[in-house]
Amino acid sequence: MNEFLGRYGTVLAALALFALLALLAPNFTAPMNLVNVVKQASYLAILAVGFTLALLAGELDLSVGQVATLASVVCAALVFAGQPWPLAAFAGLSAALLCGVVNGIAVTRFKIPSLIATLAVGVIATGIAFLITGGVAYVGRFPADFVALGRGTLGPVPLPVVWLGLLLATAWFLVERTRTGAALVATGEAPEAARLAGIDIARIKLLGLVLSAGCAGLCGLVLTAALASSSPTIANEFLMRGIAAVLLGMTTIEPGRPNLAGTLLGTLVIAGLGNGLTLLGFPYYVQDIALGLIMLVSVGFSARFLTEAAFGGAR
Amino acid sequence: MRTLVTLAAAAAIALAAPAPAGAVKLGIVAFQMSAETHARTANAAKAAAEDKGWEVTLLNSAGSVPDHAAQIENLVQKGVDAIVLAMGKPLQAEAQLAAAAAKKIPVVTVMSGTSPHTLFDVTVNEFEVGAKIGVYLLGLMNYQGNILMSRYEGHQGTKIRGRVMDIILEENTGVKVLGTHSMARTQSWREDVKAGMEALILRHAGQFRAIWASFDGQAFVIDDILQAQGYKKGQVFLTGVDGGQEAFRRIRDPNSLFTATVAIPFELMGEAAVDALDDILSGTPKNEITPGPYLFMDAVLVDANNVPAEGEWPW
Repeated sequence: MNEFLGRYGTVLAALALFALLALLAPNFTAPMNLVNVVKQASYLAILAVGFTLALLAGELDLSVGQVATLASVVCAALVFAGQPWPLAAFAGLSAALLCGVVNGIAVTRFKIPSLIATLAVGVIATGIAFLITGGVAYVGRFPADFVALGRGTLGPVPLPVVWLGLLLATAWFLVERTRTGAALVATGEAPEAARLAGIDIARIKLLGLVLSAGCAGLCGLVLTAALASSSPTIANEFLMRGIAAVLLGMTTIEPGRPNLAGTLLGTLVIAGLGNGLTLLGFPYYVQDIALGLIMLVSVGFSARFLTEAAFGGAR
Repeated sequence: MRTLVTLAAAAAIALAAPAPAGAVKLGIVAFQMSAETHARTANAAKAAAEDKGWEVTLLNSAGSVPDHAAQIENLVQKGVDAIVLAMGKPLQAEAQLAAAAAKKIPVVTVMSGTSPHTLFDVTVNEFEVGAKIGVYLLGLMNYQGNILMSRYEGHQGTKIRGRVMDIILEENTGVKVLGTHSMARTQSWREDVKAGMEALILRHAGQFRAIWASFDGQAFVIDDILQAQGYKKGQVFLTGVDGGQEAFRRIRDPNSLFTATVAIPFELMGEAAVDALDDILSGTPKNEITPGPYLFMDAVLVDANNVPAEGEWPW
């Protein structure tokens, strides 16, 4: 029983929370509202999946919000310059991946703790975003088929949720069904043992950070399409909530470890809580306090793993 | 600990104050409550609505466009009777405002620009505001001498004020711009203004007669720099735009170089938005409130001659 509660306590708490919201918050269980909650969670979840992969490799990627913003700004700038949107989106994603490579090289080659390296790369990404935009937002003038990637639906399912589903399936397959995924987990959990087992842990850590940046880039592109706009701070706020989602996820399914199912649950709790508190009429600061409490409690469960990820074990 | 979190959430939800039966449900979304002007508008709208016995949900997008869109979406799902956006982003939240319009939820914006899905925007005419302060400043200089400029292109209002000042300067060639600092960052903008303007003031010491700032916050930073460098009141004219108790205090302060501002009636605009929605919900046709997409309010030029006493307002 204790083991069950240890593994699924947070899931049960989340279910209890949702049941309470369903009972008290008007329209919380309306199908349209639930679709909105999942859609709102999907942007954050796309980013948080990447954050989870980096954390699985034992590295903390604090640049995700700013890298998502950079991808968005690069894409928007090219669209506004008259380039076809597939090319613009490709360039945005490439910019994000490049940030991941820089993160990876800084961490594995120059032995800079990921906490510092990714923070610095995030600041650089912000600088480039402001360089490109001059601080001004790109609004409107996005082609309809690009906007549809963020606002369209597949049947009743919003497309951002479809992109998240595809990403989650791919990430799950990578982690659970491939040697690379096993190496990712081994590198994060026991780097010395992984090295002795013949795993090139520098390459694996670099991969984790590149995947994280790639997911951030995807998040930036989906956001740009959904909002038909971009600005030099469009996704910066996602970092704290991304961390909160992953930390909350680390309290369940595989307690103490980053895991994809937990991350998904974390993003759903954050989006559901924000939605539910709004439906209940709570002012904004209560939502901030609630999110802070979630982070505080989650960190209590995940402190050891995070400290190692932030300041580095063996590389 | 999980039980504790669940109990805390349950207690928080249970503490939600029930709305008076039949009360109008108003959602207010401020884009950035940490900006004084946004907070003044949103808080005034909230107070005005509560005075009418309405149930108010006040949300803060914290400068995040994705949050802004999600919050409007959540208010629509909540089934509010009306929405006020304070300094909102109607273009970026077009899909969410369209959903509000489809549910016949009236939306009035304040200083946000227009949208086909909103009723109108309560605002001041920024071209008029820019002209008032620009002509006033040049008049003080007797249309002769040099100035420094502190601009901000990332906000529509401050950008327009800058453009209007450009036109005024084109027409009055006796005044030259010695140097301009354009603020780019939005988060650490005070540091940005301090660094940029400090350098300009030192470089052109003794050569300029006035400093034009695109909003009061910039002017306050510049005022502090000038005072620290030993400038005395009247030696340099310094103007901004926005108004507020700090601006009035500095105009009264014998040590401050802050000379004048155009006070924008943020509180009155928040109240006007709520009053307009009250009329709309009572069946008054929109065109009887204002015929076009804007409900213009008057902004007041305030200098030493008409500065209000502490705690007072110029309207």
